[in-house]
Order: sequence, then C-alpha cells, then structure tokens
Amino acid sequence: MKAVLATFNRELRAYFFSPLAYVVLFFFLVINGFIFSMIATYLSDPRSPAGPPLGLFFGGTLFFWLILLFVAPVLTMRLISEELRSGSVEVLMTAPVTEGQVVAGKYLAAFTFYAFLWAPTLAYAGILAYNAKVDWGPVAAGYLGILGIGAMFLAVGVFASSLTKSQLVAAIVTFALLIFLFSFGLLENLSNSEPLKQTFGYLNMWDHMDEMAKGIVDSRRLVYYASASWFFLFLASRALADKKWR
Amino acid sequence: MIEAQNLTRRYGDFTAVHGISFSVGEGEIVGMLGPNGAGKTTAIRMITGFLPPTSGRVTVAGKDLFESPREARRQLGYLPENVALYNEMRVEEYLAYRARLEGLSRAEARDAIGDAIERCLLSDVRHQIIGTLSKGYRQRVGLATAILHRPSTLVLDEPTVGLDPKQIIAIRELIRDLGRERTLFLSTHILPEVELLCNRVMIIDQGRIVAEGTPEALRERSVGNPTLRLTLKGAPDAADTLASVPGVVAARPAHPSTADGVWIVEHATGTDPREDVFHAAVQRGWVLLEMARERTSLEDVFVRLTTQDRAPDAATEAVEAAEPAEASEKAEENEEAVS
Repeated sequence: MKAVLATFNRELRAYFFSPLAYVVLFFFLVINGFIFSMIATYLSDPRSPAGPPLGLFFGGTLFFWLILLFVAPVLTMRLISEELRSGSVEVLMTAPVTEGQVVAGKYLAAFTFYAFLWAPTLAYAGILAYNAKVDWGPVAAGYLGILGIGAMFLAVGVFASSLTKSQLVAAIVTFALLIFLFSFGLLENLSNSEPLKQTFGYLNMWDHMDEMAKGIVDSRRLVYYASASWFFLFLASRALADKKWR
Repeated sequence: MIEAQNLTRRYGDFTAVHGISFSVGEGEIVGMLGPNGAGKTTAIRMITGFLPPTSGRVTVAGKDLFESPREARRQLGYLPENVALYNEMRVEEYLAYRARLEGLSRAEARDAIGDAIERCLLSDVRHQIIGTLSKGYRQRVGLATAILHRPSTLVLDEPTVGLDPKQIIAIRELIRDLGRERTLFLSTHILPEVELLCNRVMIIDQGRIVAEGTPEALRERSVGNPTLRLTLKGAPDAADTLASVPGVVAARPAHPSTADGVWIVEHATGTDPREDVFHAAVQRGWVLLEMARERTSLEDVFVRLTTQDRAPDAATEAVEAAEPAEASEKAEENEEAVS
C-alpha cells in the first residue's frame, strides 16, 4: 500500500509539474465551456425541443467523445513509457515493489487527474441550478458514467504505455484501441441479428451515457468498465514484468 | 553478501552470460572487469533482480532474489550504469519518494535522507531541481538513492563513467568509504579503478569469468618479463651493451628514435640486473639519468585474458579502438540528454 501511495503521489505531482497538464486542462475547459454554452443557447431558443441541458452535455454530442478519446491517451502516454525510455524503470523495479503496485499507483494518479479535469464542469450544474431547477439524480449518474468510461479509457492508456518506450507510440496505440472499443458499441446500429445487436448494445458507450444522463444506472455497464479496467491494468503489469524489451 | 549460481542469460540465440557463479562475502569489495559488451551489465541486472536469468539463481544476504524478491531487494542498493532520475523533482523530494518506495516509516525516512545527503555531499543541492544538476551530482543522487534504505549490499554499475577527473576522485572516495561497512560489487572497464578500490577482481569476457583473484594475484599471471625503464645520456645505441648484461633478455628503445635516450630493458623473472646495468653504463661512460622498475600492470593480464580467442591483430585493434568507442558512447549520452 505504501508503494502504491508513493507512486501515486509522485505521479500526481508530476502531472502538475508538467506543462502538458495545463495545456490539457486549458483546452479541455475551453472546449467544454464552448459546448455547454452552445447547448444552453440552443435550449433557450423557444423553438427547440425541451431537454435537460446536462443530459445533452454528457455524451449527447460528438464533442464529448472526441475529448474523451484524446484526453485519455495524452494523460497516460507518459506514465510507463517515460520510465522505460529514461531507464528509471531499473531503479524503480529493483526497489521492493511489485509491478502491480507501480501500475496501480500510476493509474490512480491518472484517474485522479482525470477527475480533477472534470471537477470545474460542476460549475455548469451550479449555473443551471441558479437559473432553473436541476434534477441532481441524473447529474450524479452522468458523472458516474464519465468516471466509469474514463476509468476504462485510462486503463487502456496505461497498458499501451507499458508496451513502448515512445510516448508518441503509446498515445497512438491508446487512441486506436479506444476508437476500436468505442466503435464496437456503435456496431449495434448496423447489425441485423438480435444476439449481435444485444452484444454490441452492451458495449455501446454512447447509449450508456445517454441512459446515465437520464438517470438510469445500469450496473452491468459499470461491471463492464470495471472488469475491462482491471483486465488492461493486469496486462500492463504483466508487460512491465516482462523485460524482454531490453 | 551476494551469491550467484550458474547464471545464464540468453537473448534469442545470443547468450550474453554463460553460467557464471561467484560469491561476494560480507564486507568485501569485488570488482567485475570486462571489455564493453562482455556481459557486465547483463550480469549486474540479474544480481539486482531487474532481469530474470534464463537459468541459475541469486541470493542476497541469504534471500533468494526470485523467490522472496521483496526481502532480497530490501538488502540491496543499486546504482545502474545510466543514472535515470525524475528530472522535475527536487533532490530531497526524490529521496523522500524513494524512502517511501522502500517502505521506510516517516521517522526512519527523515534520518535516512539526512544521512544519505550528508554522506553523498548533497547538502548544497538538496533543494535543487534534479534536471538542473551536473552529471557528477546526478551520480551522487543515484548513490544516495542506493544507500538510502541502508542496504547491506551495494551493486554499482560503472560508477565513474562519464565524470570529470575531480568528480571521479570524489566518487571513488565515497565508494571506498561505503565499502567499509558493506558488501560492495562494482563493474568497471577502468583498470586503475579496480586496483584502487577492490579486494578482489573478476574478469569477464564473452559472458564467462576468465579470471578471479586479488589484484596482486592476477598481476602475477602476467606472462611478460619484468622490465626496467632507463634514461641514458650520451648513448646513441645501447641495445647490444644492455642485452649483454647478465639476466637481461632484451633491450629496446622506448620510442622508435633513440634520441631521447629512454630504453626498456626486459629481464628474466627472479633476476635483478639493476646493479649490473649501472656498472655497464659507467664502463661505457654513459650518464644514467633515471632507472626504474616497471610494475607489470593488470592491463597485460586483462588484455591477454579478454582477447585470447581472437586473432592477435584484432586484439590490439580492439584495445586501440576502446578509447574512441568510449568517446562515441559519451556523445550518444549527450545527445540523449539534449533530446
């Protein structure tokens, strides 16, 4: 536990010491703010159909997914690749720690930073609550969905980072894997047979965010994200243990 | 204490280390010597538990590195060849992080960090960001990391590589100091370093241990005859006269021209022709400016042992090539640092 905490602390600090974090934070907030104001303008037009603004904000637009698909690789690419490139992995892995502890610490730091990225968007809910009545259930469910999907995306990123010394390669691999995972769910709309439709439906994150934003929490979805996260983190720790890359 | 039994490491078809076995006793300083590419770093990575051996086992202070890795690693401090640190951290911060990683309690960590900073002479830079440190200081931070958790055994891979002469002296002093109370295993390709620091030397070549013993014992294995070095004034050609002195095997000028009067005189082992050489010079009316016994160096032994299987020409080439190779290595390192 101590080793996990030590790694977590170091990685979280590393985020805040790197300019990258601030660049990500900046664009993340600019784009999200823009989307939110667009949604608010659209909904305040009397001709538009009525709907919960945050419902649209959480996964209702393609922007949401684009941001998520870019943020996860950028946040995770450095985590293990940099250790492999600089060689600091050597002193790290000769300390009395296990690969699992190192991976867990790094992953938790990425997840915390990810949650930190979303925290300012709570202000949007605050703005809405100031001007209108907000149903907090669906908002909470929406954030739960964001954290769930984020958890899985970041785990994929940590895994890709454990494969290569190059941060760029790690980011590209993460991005490709995420596109793959994401479009899997979209196949739901293209498949004709019922069992296939159901299978892909189970993996459809877009649908899931829509449901969550309406306040429907489906535990099967959460189990999917948790088990996928665990699976990718497990692969990452195996990859780190297997030092044939040297 | 380190014990390695039959360590073998293969990379695909290439065998980097062929079943080497050795032990480093408590309080000993053992140096591993070998040309570049001999398998030193691979061997070191296996005895620190970073690289799993293809076969064989390692115990550190009686704990098996692969069966009880945590206990064994706690006893081990390691300075890798390329000291990689987290550049965005401050020295003290980094040591605090390492202390937590080693599982030290808060109080233990405070003591340990203070101690390591003092021993490695880092107090001037304790609040400095690691990325701004010179190579010598980085090396010392690496050493501080290695000794932080007070391990009983230290493993250092090329601890002085890439340092300037002043830094080398400082690091060597530190190593000697650390070796007083710990088991120390270090690798190097710098021969004088081994003679200065180590109680025992292991020469490895092409993944095998080719010789082992104290520096003195190894020096005795030198095949060459002992030699004298003289400087004569007014002796245009002294070769024949010197060669006729009893005990002398051969005499040749140290440099192609005899103008500077420096001669190298080989004599049979067990003889001491110095007196006779002096008389011979006096007889001829030459002025003897200088006469000294040359110590046969480990270098001869090293070169002979590590080049046995190759053609003699290739061997000398390899020795001559060693220097530029090192330089280009350094250049590479610099490039990396820049990028």
